[in-house]
Amino acid sequence: MSELQSLSAFDGVSAAGRYGNPNGTAGVTLTERANLGLATLEVRKGQTVALAEKVQAMYGAALPVGPVSASGTGVRFVGIAPGQWFAVSETLPNEDLAGDLATKLQGLASVADHSSGRAVMRLEGPAVRDVLAKGLAVDIDPSVFIDGAAALTNIGHIGVLVWRDDEAFDLTVFRSFAGSFYGWLQASAAEFGIDVVT
Amino acid sequence: MSQINRLTGKGLVDHSKTVSFQFDGQHLEGHPGDTLASALLANGIRLVGRSFKYHRPRGILTAGSEEPNALVELRTGARREPNTRATTIELYDGLDAASQNRWPSLRYDLLSINQLASPVLSAGFYYKTFMWPASFWEKLYEPMIRRAAGLGYPSKQTDPDRYEKANAFCDVLVVGGGAAGLSAALAAARTGACVILCDEDFVLGGRLLSERGEIDGQSTQDWAKSAVAELESLPRCRIMRRTTVFGVYDGGTYAAVERVSDHLPEPPAHAPRQRLWRIVAKQSVICAGGFERPIVFGDNDRPGVMLASAVRTYVNRFGVTPGRNAVIFADNHEALRTASDLADAGVTVRAIVDPQPQPSATAEQVATETGALYINGIIDAVSGAYGIKSVRIKDAQGASKTIDCDVLAVSGGWNPALNLTTHLGGKPKWDNALSCLVPGDLPPGMRVAGAAAGQFSLQACLASGEAAGADSARDCGFSPSAPSRPAPTEDGSPVAPVWYVPSSRGKAFVDFQNDVAVSDIKLAAREGFRVPDHVKRYTTLGMATDQGKTSNLNGAALLAEATGRHLGAVGSTTFRPPYTPVAIGALAGHHRGKDFRPTRLAPSHAWAVEQGAVFVEAGAWLRALMFPKPGETAQETVDREVANTRTNVGVCDVSTLGKIDVQGSDAGTFLDRVYINGFSKLAVGKTRYGLMLREDGFAMDDGTTARLAENHFFMTTTTANAVKVSQHLEFCQQVLWPELDVQTVSQTEQWAQFAVAGPKSRKIIEALLDSGQDISNEAFPYMACGSFTACGGAPARIFRLSFSGELAYEIGVPARFGDGLIRTIMRAGAEFGIGPYGTEALGVMRIEKGHAAGPELNGQTTAHDLGLGRMMSKKKDFIGRFMGQREALNEAARAAIVGLKPLDPKMRINAGAHLVKRDAVANAENDQGYVTSQAYSPELKSFIGLAMLSDGPARYGEVVKVCDPLRDYETLAEVCSPHFIDPEGERLRV
Repeated sequence: MSELQSLSAFDGVSAAGRYGNPNGTAGVTLTERANLGLATLEVRKGQTVALAEKVQAMYGAALPVGPVSASGTGVRFVGIAPGQWFAVSETLPNEDLAGDLATKLQGLASVADHSSGRAVMRLEGPAVRDVLAKGLAVDIDPSVFIDGAAALTNIGHIGVLVWRDDEAFDLTVFRSFAGSFYGWLQASAAEFGIDVVT
Repeated sequence: MSQINRLTGKGLVDHSKTVSFQFDGQHLEGHPGDTLASALLANGIRLVGRSFKYHRPRGILTAGSEEPNALVELRTGARREPNTRATTIELYDGLDAASQNRWPSLRYDLLSINQLASPVLSAGFYYKTFMWPASFWEKLYEPMIRRAAGLGYPSKQTDPDRYEKANAFCDVLVVGGGAAGLSAALAAARTGACVILCDEDFVLGGRLLSERGEIDGQSTQDWAKSAVAELESLPRCRIMRRTTVFGVYDGGTYAAVERVSDHLPEPPAHAPRQRLWRIVAKQSVICAGGFERPIVFGDNDRPGVMLASAVRTYVNRFGVTPGRNAVIFADNHEALRTASDLADAGVTVRAIVDPQPQPSATAEQVATETGALYINGIIDAVSGAYGIKSVRIKDAQGASKTIDCDVLAVSGGWNPALNLTTHLGGKPKWDNALSCLVPGDLPPGMRVAGAAAGQFSLQACLASGEAAGADSARDCGFSPSAPSRPAPTEDGSPVAPVWYVPSSRGKAFVDFQNDVAVSDIKLAAREGFRVPDHVKRYTTLGMATDQGKTSNLNGAALLAEATGRHLGAVGSTTFRPPYTPVAIGALAGHHRGKDFRPTRLAPSHAWAVEQGAVFVEAGAWLRALMFPKPGETAQETVDREVANTRTNVGVCDVSTLGKIDVQGSDAGTFLDRVYINGFSKLAVGKTRYGLMLREDGFAMDDGTTARLAENHFFMTTTTANAVKVSQHLEFCQQVLWPELDVQTVSQTEQWAQFAVAGPKSRKIIEALLDSGQDISNEAFPYMACGSFTACGGAPARIFRLSFSGELAYEIGVPARFGDGLIRTIMRAGAEFGIGPYGTEALGVMRIEKGHAAGPELNGQTTAHDLGLGRMMSKKKDFIGRFMGQREALNEAARAAIVGLKPLDPKMRINAGAHLVKRDAVANAENDQGYVTSQAYSPELKSFIGLAMLSDGPARYGEVVKVCDPLRDYETLAEVCSPHFIDPEGERLRV
């Protein structure tokens, strides 16, 4: 293990606590998802079918087509563009996921590590849709934005990848934007109250 | 004096509670449920403002958002807001409002002297009066006009409130919550469709609140209440009160502003003042209602002259009578209800004046019932400047009669509020039967119902609303039940409106807010204006913030008459968003102050803050500009940082440069095509500088690209162009060469990267690397790259690159280790005298080395111009090659990069200065180029510069004049190679 201290994207940005409206249950809860494995995979020329088969075999997931995600053993694959997926893993943390994918999918997909390049947070709670509506120009009604649905879009001029996991929403932004994004979130969630959990 | 005009037991206001407020410093009381206008009227206040041009005393004309007269400054201090319509301000305890456009007081206003000058202040006044002399415009006329213009004054303090934006999606959007809107929303929402109902008012019901009618055996007010209750019980129906839909955009997108806290003294903690909504609806039903038209006659703007429908609103909804002695002046039967409602409320109705050519038995009947005089005639004169005292009525036979009154209720018929139907270019069409404009072609997915569609009767509103709501739901895939409302029966043939009273004396106003009178429109017609949009611009008719809601059609009718045309042939002006004024704050939302745009922070940011760094914005990034020590000037700081890097070692965060991962079996070929030089033959473990051109042959961006593996490259771009280059590569991949096996993705944020530069840099990198890894000059020469581990196993990429011209390395680690790495570098480098340097020192060193950067890659320079012509491969095609062959881009006289050394080393070479021959006059004809970059070189102890100079590379040794007329500065400089320091690059290779 390196002697260099590993800092999450929200280090120095957020601090645990209750913010905004102090009354009642917080409308939304923010949990940073630090140390996730994050990687993009982009299919190599002519390997679409082979890649899908390999991912199914290795990770037990059917690579989704379109803006939706599919979970396999330990890895969620989020569709971000034709032939491109954003892979997320808790069990293969940090740089491990990209390494694992690159080895197993060699020749089928180009893999790039983003485990340090993104801030990932989970938002949930009774007002989560109301908060997100203040920035997300995407219909997130449960009947439209179904479990697993994903969107690559922007919030408050900041590029964001969002996917729904059951009743929670996971959001990723570029690491350098963590502070600005947190500012938008704090302002937007204030009327409902926000619990920041670390 | 306390609410002398309040009617007991009437209206929807809460009589059991009182609310205190101030108007022009006077303490007054009203009730919850009042608007400022109704509360003022309740207190017997009729004079509320002064008009725009002539400063005429004005009162309250309407009871809605179309109000042109009763504009006030609301609140005080930082929250002061000018030109708010008293008719839409919800009364709250402590409200403080002031009249505007008057001095010293509302009653005694010095600028009302403008009325005497009214013959001069006619249409086109500015154009005619301030023509000559031209030089007076900027210095005298314009400042003078600006001082006199405008109504209220905004606060000049920072707005203390928050604004935000939000998005909503629905099947059916219903705009307006009156009879038609409630019916439409009910019909749609009952099917299970997702419905949003927006209403600008704080109580839903629209005209239902203002009339004494019945629906299904209930009073209209009660019916509205139960309709709202049902809508609120439906889970997929959302009611948005105090929300104005003000614009229609493509793709079923609607803009709305929700006045979240405007009805409160100040927003509650954590709540915004206003919220801007972007509503995307599959279908919409516009039920915006209608606007009653005034009749134009002399002195029709006197306080106390009010629209007949507004009088009913004040009586029935607010329990307020605008006066005690009323006269009705109306050309239609609907307005007769005003007489009935006033009489019912115990107000004396003195007369009903009917300007139609034939007397009306119905009107006469109502007159008898209400104890009023019926006169088939016109209002000939109005007396009472600060509030109407009497009117002189002239009957059809020419006999005059003066009747005392304090309110004159006027109606010239109704216009549909069709504004939203025209925002996407739809043209209203003339309806001959209704004598008004009705919606024309509608945008996809939009329906119109109720008065907005010209369906003015209550029956018609209910039926057309229900049908439109049901049809909208059906189009979204839901199954509405059969219509329950019968189609309305025709209630007699409509009569032609009376637009204006020609014989009347006094100034007759068409547009109250902009003080446009009949005489102005007639003048415009005489001067040749025929098109309403031209007349609008010439006379300012309909150009005020109310967009002529009460005046446009009357103006068009006058224009039609003056130009001898039928009104239907005259056409109309164009409505544009916003429907009613929208605060800029709402449009900005969260993005104000430092949140104007997001900020990106580099991995070493927190550390740099600790070091006392000064930061500079580079796009969205904040980068350390320099690291000053106490007592240093900026120049001393930069000199020290440069000197220390050149003698010892310096470190700089270069993480902000764009980093793009390029993979695939055709990655080399791909790079060959985007760069002017070759990359497919670059050896694994090597890095190469590359320049890419735009399709037109001009330089786009530069940077280094490393080959990490056979099929794996790692490209860097400038900080400024990182996104542009990414997009360019995506375009090349997807559109130009989809056949290539190449994949690209931005990895800018993944790697924290630091340049460690200076003669002692190798020692530090060696100290960071885990043991057993060799970066000696032999094993890891200049331009080498490779993957290593550092600091106990952290993955690290090392590139032996140099922007400074010294022995240098860039070391990259995953960004989560970035903060740790900069601290470790500083610790490891302490014994070698390491110092951080910022972008300013970086810039000095690159100028000393003659490296092109942003000021040279300015979109006007080619590879040749940048001294990189020889890099252009002749063995392959690449983007920009063909267009780069154009003759003008290859002339010797073209400006190309050179260095400049001042003859006197203490003289600056100002960036932006132009170059002429030594003895030439500094003018455009003699211009031979311009300075792009300048710096002070501590090593050369001289200012230096980079410049683009005509035929520059052939002119080394020549002395040119550096001319900066903007700063009144000239100096002489010698043209030289741009490589000021170590031109052979020996320091790089040690």
